[in-house]
Amino acid sequence: MIITAQNISYSVGQKPILHNLSFAMHPGEVTVVLGPNGAGKSTLLRILSGEQAPSSGTILLNDKSIQTFSLTQLARCRAVLSQQYMLNLPFCCEEIVMMGRYPHFNNHPAAIDRDIVQQCMQEMQVAQFTGRLYQTLSGGEQQRVQMARVLAQLREANAGDVTGKLLLLDEPTASLDCLHQQACLQKARDLAQHGYTVAVILHDLNLAAQFADKIILLKNGQLVKEGSMREVLQPDCIADAYEMEVEVWQHPDYNFPVLVPAEHKVRSILKTSNKNNIHEYNSRSFVKG
Amino acid sequence: MKRNGITIGLIILLIGTAVTAAGIGAMHISPQQVIAILLKQINIHIPVTYDEGMANVLWQIRLPRVIAAILIGSGLAVAGAAMQGLFRNPMADPTLIGISFGASFFAVLTIVVLSSLPFMNGALIPKYYLLNVTTFAGACFTSFVVFRLSKTGGRSLITTLLLSGLAINALCRALTDLVTYVANDEQLRSATYWTMGSLGGVTWSSVWALLPFILVPIILLPRLAKSLNVFALGEQEAAYLGVKVKRLKAVIVVLTTLLVGASVAIAGVIGFVGLIVPHMLRSITGSDHRSLLPNCALLGATLLTMADVVSRTIIAPAELPIGIVTAVIGTPIFVVLLVKQKKQLRLMS
Repeated sequence: MIITAQNISYSVGQKPILHNLSFAMHPGEVTVVLGPNGAGKSTLLRILSGEQAPSSGTILLNDKSIQTFSLTQLARCRAVLSQQYMLNLPFCCEEIVMMGRYPHFNNHPAAIDRDIVQQCMQEMQVAQFTGRLYQTLSGGEQQRVQMARVLAQLREANAGDVTGKLLLLDEPTASLDCLHQQACLQKARDLAQHGYTVAVILHDLNLAAQFADKIILLKNGQLVKEGSMREVLQPDCIADAYEMEVEVWQHPDYNFPVLVPAEHKVRSILKTSNKNNIHEYNSRSFVKG
Repeated sequence: MKRNGITIGLIILLIGTAVTAAGIGAMHISPQQVIAILLKQINIHIPVTYDEGMANVLWQIRLPRVIAAILIGSGLAVAGAAMQGLFRNPMADPTLIGISFGASFFAVLTIVVLSSLPFMNGALIPKYYLLNVTTFAGACFTSFVVFRLSKTGGRSLITTLLLSGLAINALCRALTDLVTYVANDEQLRSATYWTMGSLGGVTWSSVWALLPFILVPIILLPRLAKSLNVFALGEQEAAYLGVKVKRLKAVIVVLTTLLVGASVAIAGVIGFVGLIVPHMLRSITGSDHRSLLPNCALLGATLLTMADVVSRTIIAPAELPIGIVTAVIGTPIFVVLLVKQKKQLRLMS
C-alpha cells in the first residue's frame, strides 16, 4: 500500500502542530520518523492512521483518500502500536492479543484466529505469558504483548496475502531491553520485506541508522529533511533538528553508520572544523580494537 | 469449557435460590411445593400436597417479589459491569458515581409532585411508567454531568470521576432532603423508601413495568461485549480496531441508565450490587465481557434474591430496606477491593 501525505497541516485551536507536510511511503520500506520531543511525530502517526483528520491536506492510501474507508476496513489493513497503554481491567495476555483479531470475526474466533494469536505471541516471545494477567507483566513485556496484538491484527488468514498492510509503531522500543529492541525492529523490517508499509517513530538515532530505509525528520511540526537514511543522518540535519552536534562514523564491516554525540570528544578536532572536514571525518573508517 | 461450566453453574444456582427464596417467609412453602404450584399453572401435576393458601401467597406476594429481585439484581450487575467497561475502571458503579441518587432524586420529586395531583391517584401502571421515564431522565442527566466533569483532556480520570460522583451524590441527597422536608406524611413514607431501597411494595404491575426496561438492555449489552473489551485498551486503540467510539459510548450510557433508572423507579437505591458482582466474576472468569455480562446478570439476580430474603426475614415481621442489607454486606467487600488494588499498585510501581 502506497501512503501519500499531501500538504498535511494540523493545529489545535491557534496552535499549529504540523505544518504543510508532504511525503510518500512505499511498501517494502521502513520509514522512520525522527524529531525532538514535541515535534509532532505522534500526531503525524495518528493522522496517517486515519484516526485523526488533518486540519487541511489529505492522506491517500493507494490513491484513495483515507476518509473514504470505514473504520472496519481500516482496522483490517492498518494497525497502530501506541506509546503506552493504561489497562485497569484484568485481561489475560492471550485475550489482549486476540483483540487484534476482533476486526476479522463476528462473535467467536475461528480456529485460524487462535492459530494466528499463538503464532504472533511466539514471534514476539511472549508465548510463555499465556494465562498470565497483563497487569502482572513488566513494562517491556507488556509492550511485546501489545506488539503481538498489532501483528495479529494485520496477519492474513491465508498465508502470503499481504498486499496493502500499513503498520504504524509509536516508539515501539521505548521500554524494551536492547535485545528485544533489535528483535522488534527486525520484525518490522521482515514485515516490510513481505510487502507491508511500515512507519516507526524512534528516538534512538542509531536504531534509526540500523533499520530505516527512509527517514522523515521533523522539528516544530515542520519537515527538516526527508530522504534515505544516509541522506538524513548527516551532522548538519541532526544539528538543525536537535541542536546537537554529532559525528557520523562508518565501520567497514557494517552497512550502517553510528552516530556519536560530539560534545564528549576528548581531542577537539570538531571545534575548529567546518562542514567539509566533518565529511572527511565521516568517510574515515575506524579500526577495531 | 470452564467458562460455559461456570455459566451453567450460575443458572442452576439462580433457579435453586429463586425456588428456595419463594418459599421462605411467615408461611413456609417447601421447594417441592413451590415447584408443584408453579407446574400446576402449565397443567403438570406432581404428587406434592399443598393448600390453596400457599398457592395464593406464592402467586400474589412471593413470586412478584422474587421476580423483581431477579430483574433488578441482574440489571444492576450488568449496568455496573458495562459502566466499568465504559469508564475503563473496575471502581465505577452507578451508586458510587452518583447516577442512582440522581435517579432517586427525580423519583422522589415525581412522587411528591404526582401525589399532589388528584387525578393521578389509583392509576398504578401509568404511574410506574411515568416514574420509569423520570428516573431514567434523572439517571441520564447525572451520568452525563459526571462523565463531563470527570473528563480531563480527553481522558476520564478515576479520582475526578469518584470525586464528581461524591459531589453529585451530596447535591442529590440535599435536594431529596429538601423535597421530603416539604412533603406530607404519606409522601414522606414513600419518598424515604426510595432513598433506602426496598422491594416491599412490589406487585405484578411493577414487575410488568420493570420487565422491558431490564430485558432490552440485558439482551443488547452483550452484543457490545467485543467493543467493550477493546475499549479497555483505550479510546484511540478501540478506534484503531474498528470501534465507533462515540456511538459505543452513547449506546452504553443509554442502556445502563435505562437499567439503573428502571431499578431505582421500582425499588429505590440499591448500592454495591453493580460494583461487587462484576468484581467477583472477574476474579473467576476474567474480564472478557462476552462471558462477564451474562454471568453478571445471573449472579446479580441470585445475590439480590438472597439479600431480599435477608431483608424480609431478619427482623420479621418488620422489613429491613434491602439497600441497607446490600450496603452492610457490600461495604466490607468494597474495602477489601480497595486494599487489593492498593497492593496491585504497589506491585506495579
